[in-house]
Amino acid sequence: MTDPNQHEAHEAIVPMPGGQGADPGSLQPVTRVEDDLEGATTDKSYSQGQLVLRRFLRHRAAMISLAVLVFVTVLAFTSIGVGPIPGWWTYNYLQPVEVVNGGRPTLSLWPFSIGEHPFGQDTIGRDWFAMVMRGTQRSLIIAFVVGIVSTLVGTAVGALAGYYRGWVEALLMRMTDLLIVIPLLALAAALGQISGGRNIFVLALVLGLVTWTGLARLVRGEILSLREREFVSAARAVGTSPARIIVKHILPNTLGTIIVAATLSIASAILLETSLSYLGFGVKPPDTSLGLLISDYQNAFTSRPWLFWWPGIFILGIALAVNFIGDGLRDAFDPRQNRKKD
Amino acid sequence: MTRFILRRLGISALVLLGGSVLMFVLTINSGDPLQDLRESNDPNRDNLIAQRITTMGLDLPWYQRYWQWLTGAAGCLVGRCDLGTNRAGVDVGSMLENAASSTLRLVVGATLLAIVAGVFFGILTAIRQYSGFDYVVTFFAFLFFSLPVFWAAVLLKEYGAIRFNDWIADPSVSLLTTLLIGVVLGIVVQGALGGDLRRRLMTGGGTALFVIVAITYFDAVDWWRRPALGLPVVALVSIGAGALMVALTSGFGNRRVVRAVGATVGLGLVSYLALGGVLADPTWPILFGLYAVAVVIALACGWFLGGFSRRTAMWASFVTATVMAGTVVMDKALGAWAGYLQLQPRPISTIGSQTPNFDGTFWQDFLDKGTQLILPTVVLTLISLASYTRYTRASMLEVLEQDYVRTARAKGLSEREVISRHAFRNALIPLTTIVAFDFAGLIGGAVITEAVFGWKGMGELFRTGLTQVDPGPVMAFFLVTGVAAVVMNMLADISYAFLDPRIRR
Amino acid sequence: MTVTTDAGTTPSDDRVLSFDGLDVRFTTEFGSVHAVKGISLDVRPGEVVALVGESGSGKSVTSMTALGLLPKNARVGGNVEVAGKSVGSLDSRGLRRLRGNDVAMVFQEPMTALNPVLTIGLQMSEALELHGIAYGRAALDRAVELLRMVGIPEPERRIKQYPHELSGGQRQRVVIALAISCNPRVIIADEPTTALDVTVQADILDLLRSLKDQLDTGILLITHNMGVVADMADRVAVMFKGEIVERGTVDEVLNRPQHPYTRRLLEAVPHLGRGPGQFGTSRHAANSVDMVGAPALEVKNVAIDYHRTGKPPFRAVDDVSFVVRQGEVVGLVGESGSGKSTLGRAALGLIEPAAGEISLFGERFTGMNAKASKRLRRRIGVIFQDPAASLNPRLPIGDVISEPMIVHGVGDRRSRQKTVYELLDAVHLPRSVFNRYPHELSGGQRQRVSVARALTLEPELLVADEPTSALDVSVQASVLAMFTELQERYRFACLFVSHDLAVVDLLADRVVVLRDGKIVEHGDREQVLHHPREEYTQRLLAAAPVPEPGEQRRRREERHRLLESLGDEVTTLQLDPQRQHGRLDDSTRE
Repeated sequence: MTDPNQHEAHEAIVPMPGGQGADPGSLQPVTRVEDDLEGATTDKSYSQGQLVLRRFLRHRAAMISLAVLVFVTVLAFTSIGVGPIPGWWTYNYLQPVEVVNGGRPTLSLWPFSIGEHPFGQDTIGRDWFAMVMRGTQRSLIIAFVVGIVSTLVGTAVGALAGYYRGWVEALLMRMTDLLIVIPLLALAAALGQISGGRNIFVLALVLGLVTWTGLARLVRGEILSLREREFVSAARAVGTSPARIIVKHILPNTLGTIIVAATLSIASAILLETSLSYLGFGVKPPDTSLGLLISDYQNAFTSRPWLFWWPGIFILGIALAVNFIGDGLRDAFDPRQNRKKD
Repeated sequence: MTRFILRRLGISALVLLGGSVLMFVLTINSGDPLQDLRESNDPNRDNLIAQRITTMGLDLPWYQRYWQWLTGAAGCLVGRCDLGTNRAGVDVGSMLENAASSTLRLVVGATLLAIVAGVFFGILTAIRQYSGFDYVVTFFAFLFFSLPVFWAAVLLKEYGAIRFNDWIADPSVSLLTTLLIGVVLGIVVQGALGGDLRRRLMTGGGTALFVIVAITYFDAVDWWRRPALGLPVVALVSIGAGALMVALTSGFGNRRVVRAVGATVGLGLVSYLALGGVLADPTWPILFGLYAVAVVIALACGWFLGGFSRRTAMWASFVTATVMAGTVVMDKALGAWAGYLQLQPRPISTIGSQTPNFDGTFWQDFLDKGTQLILPTVVLTLISLASYTRYTRASMLEVLEQDYVRTARAKGLSEREVISRHAFRNALIPLTTIVAFDFAGLIGGAVITEAVFGWKGMGELFRTGLTQVDPGPVMAFFLVTGVAAVVMNMLADISYAFLDPRIRR
Repeated sequence: MTVTTDAGTTPSDDRVLSFDGLDVRFTTEFGSVHAVKGISLDVRPGEVVALVGESGSGKSVTSMTALGLLPKNARVGGNVEVAGKSVGSLDSRGLRRLRGNDVAMVFQEPMTALNPVLTIGLQMSEALELHGIAYGRAALDRAVELLRMVGIPEPERRIKQYPHELSGGQRQRVVIALAISCNPRVIIADEPTTALDVTVQADILDLLRSLKDQLDTGILLITHNMGVVADMADRVAVMFKGEIVERGTVDEVLNRPQHPYTRRLLEAVPHLGRGPGQFGTSRHAANSVDMVGAPALEVKNVAIDYHRTGKPPFRAVDDVSFVVRQGEVVGLVGESGSGKSTLGRAALGLIEPAAGEISLFGERFTGMNAKASKRLRRRIGVIFQDPAASLNPRLPIGDVISEPMIVHGVGDRRSRQKTVYELLDAVHLPRSVFNRYPHELSGGQRQRVSVARALTLEPELLVADEPTSALDVSVQASVLAMFTELQERYRFACLFVSHDLAVVDLLADRVVVLRDGKIVEHGDREQVLHHPREEYTQRLLAAAPVPEPGEQRRRREERHRLLESLGDEVTTLQLDPQRQHGRLDDSTRE
């Protein structure tokens, strides 16, 4: 039996005498009881989605990270251009120019000046900023595609497994076991070898097809608990079709988990791809990736540290920003974690 | 219960089988195994190509090659392993031995360290939720979690190894650095211990002062090159560990536990002095044997002196004995440091997992392997540490909201007792599943770390195998890591059942 | 505005617990919440004081101040004294010595009150060792003794068991044993029986009463259940929004309430034995029930299994048959684990029975294909227990209520909207609720929305699964009144599942009593609830408390006589007869 006192504390009771007209001591006839609703002070009604958005916008770390991420993305794509669209940066990532001052970076903080080669130059004279931007572009694209693919596949599989159970669920469990037994990096490396080198979209697709199990398990868990909830039972009792139940009742309520997991999967996708590229199993030359940049010049650390620092900082920064955004989203969807004033 | 275990083993075996097929097929299709030969200008080229085709069985269909491998690998179950050869004809089995011990050393060590540190920080930050300490630790957790392993490894290689080696040649710590280290440690300690302003000043200031004095002293006596702990330090650390264990488990009011732990510490110190000769140049079996004896002595002290708090006394003595054993090992190892430096002026090597053809005393050899182990272990630990800390923190926070914690407080237990006796075990339960799943990720991290540090471990087997489109070494890698993952999963299930009696009965 | 009818305060200060001008504020993100606004109350040894109120009244907060267990964001003013010591002036060590020793607490949820990973024995001896009463082996022996005292059979075996191996009632006994283990002067029991079945509740209340009789402990009983108050209390204080609005002896407050809130509260409690007609409802004549046509619901020899992994299936419902005629209200009664909710769900077609068949309106429902069953489902509606989980949090109320119409393709947008407005009127909710979301409504309002949704397609059969169990007393009354009004208007048949006999007495035409998945008794409401034939039904009825102290005392004595005639023991604290009457021997205390 549930305790009536356990749910929300604001039970609107007819106020004390002197309030409404009718004698509150009697219960008959019962007319307009409980007229005042919570939040009825304004006419504005907030849906769940709007509440979540408000909480998210108040999360400082997430907002800062979002700003950083947007800034980096815009910088990466506009500075050197993408595809046929040109960028505003003077140099591109393919053209070696004359090596100036041993290739040292010209960026200085005080006094603030950008200079010709703010990130320096590599050993053959290519502008390092342009190369890092190019690498960032590739890594960002791959990370987002992997995130989207793995989210779609994971959600579909998890939803089907959670709702229909039976053999679909058994299949999912076996696939998860499979991916526990084979370390993800090894699997991804093998797949990268098969597909990589040709097209980063193919690589991203393939990576997405092996990184969805975590999300699938999460979605399945959510759905398992949701389908026992009473509003789902009520919908079933009335005769709602399973498809409508999944689409209208269950999925909208799993949206929170899915969004958070998708965001975090983007962060891990970046790390996965750069690690693969570092090892030589991911993006291959002539295309570039931040991981590849680091592996090319890792031994030059003592002599040309800037070649090592900048790509790494970008990977770290992007992954960190995405992780903070994911954390902010998680807090926004699940306000139980919120701060109480001490 | 046994039926459950057998069923799980059966499923795991099937999954391993399926995984092996997948891995095999992916590997052999990942490229052209004859590519390097096709591009070479060697006059003997065609012969070499034909040779390789025979060695690798490239003319056979894939299922036959797989079957060959499977039958060979199945022999491992009866003790006659035949894991095939790599493309040069070298037996994979022999390559595996060294490689596996290297990698497993690394991964298991990193896991244990990450668990201990992760649980420690997770619980501390949960208790001090929303404090400055919490925010700082959380930020670092996020940082380490987002860190690309390979990048961090290279960084560590540069600063941890190369710069350290440069520094150890003529070690000295500048005054500024000393002050900085002292202040930072002071701030960390006062954040962890909390309390009101006065208490914070005392703990923080005390720590800072202690550290500054210690570092200055070390500098003065050139401790960096000629370290020694000696009896006073060992005794101090042992007593400290014992006190900490007593404080955490039953409190000083319980005389029996105090007596048991005290006896353990005393006997431990006595044996430390007595066994000095044996410990000068022991072997691994001797060391393990001595540890076993120490544990038995500790448990005996707990049993006989523990009275009605027998189990607590035994547990506290056990942990104290382990810490003491560790301290003694450190003492002996550090004692050999000076001599080691003579043999190896640049102690922290960045290539390989041990110096080849090393000839020194046991402790010098220990240091050799140890110094090689430090950096890769640190890298791997950092990554796992972050997620374990966060999980433990979340789990602990949830546990602290539970009704039975409220009941414990209502009984009159102090906060410390509530946390260590009631909340702690419950908070650990979800962690077991996380560790099991994380293990596979750790293996991936090990592959990268070995690449950076040039270890000849499983990672290298995998990498060369895959680049050369050579299934032999890759499958060996898969076998070891797959079996290790299954074992970890089993262990996780067992610890889950151990921790949670609802599963047992 | 406080109405006091005290019998006069005695000058001697032997009060074991006293609140003097207690004021509690919480600082939260949304500002300051004034939970308790300056109340004064005391408890003397050997007496039970009941603190009554609904959710939000501040009664639980008041009790937590006595142990100093409020969260850090609470600001406490005024004075709380336990056995003469002022709680506010104690440092943390003093506070810890106080807890368990001078004042002990029994919380509401027995299922989660004990640490699942520690044995019972360990948890009990911990308290004993902490307060220096016994150590080691002696502590375990004492724990065994305490368990025996509270009536747990085979205590030596239980000591080594874990909490999950005990039932809810047994766990609550363990919690009580824990509470008395250190001989506290006062015990605070916060809704100690709310989560328990009614027969178990009666036993636990007997135990608590014998506690105060034999050990002279003072008890502060916090509850919202007027029947429990009538059964246990010597004095009563009624709390509303942080203030005590009425106090007095139990006879005064329950029989001659002065304050309007108290009156409203008492009028809202359904009184078992008074039948329909409470809350200003009238009952239709019995001949409005359709005896001739096909029954709305027919359950024939139905058995339902629960499948568990690794264990044989558990038979939740076994060979149950009954009928609900059109226009009739049938109450399905039972304790937890009786299978009543399972049956309710099977009637809705949510669970397939393992045996037997279920028919709706003469058509066989079990094994029907989806298309045909959808046609049939148009004619049924459902109301569930938990208002928080009954509505999809993402849909506004208008959409929630019109969902059934959309599913069955009824009408267009305009006509649907019209229907929704009509329904909102029928359940007495303002039309402005149409665009609001569930989280903006209170529990009672959400339950009304559930009712509206159930009525959308004018069902001929309604299945209500504990629809008011999760609501406060006053809200429950208005929802029930609305429900009966609607039933009379729409004349739907209803399968009303409940554990609360008084509620069923209010509504039902016929009653079916379930126990462990089997039917124990069934028949007219009048016969089953007022003149039961079966032993189990008699026990159930005897255990249900009524909110009138004199009547309740008589019922209690009747119940004890019944139990003895059935060969059961009446639960009392079993003290060693060699001990002195009065306080437990605490000479072992160091």
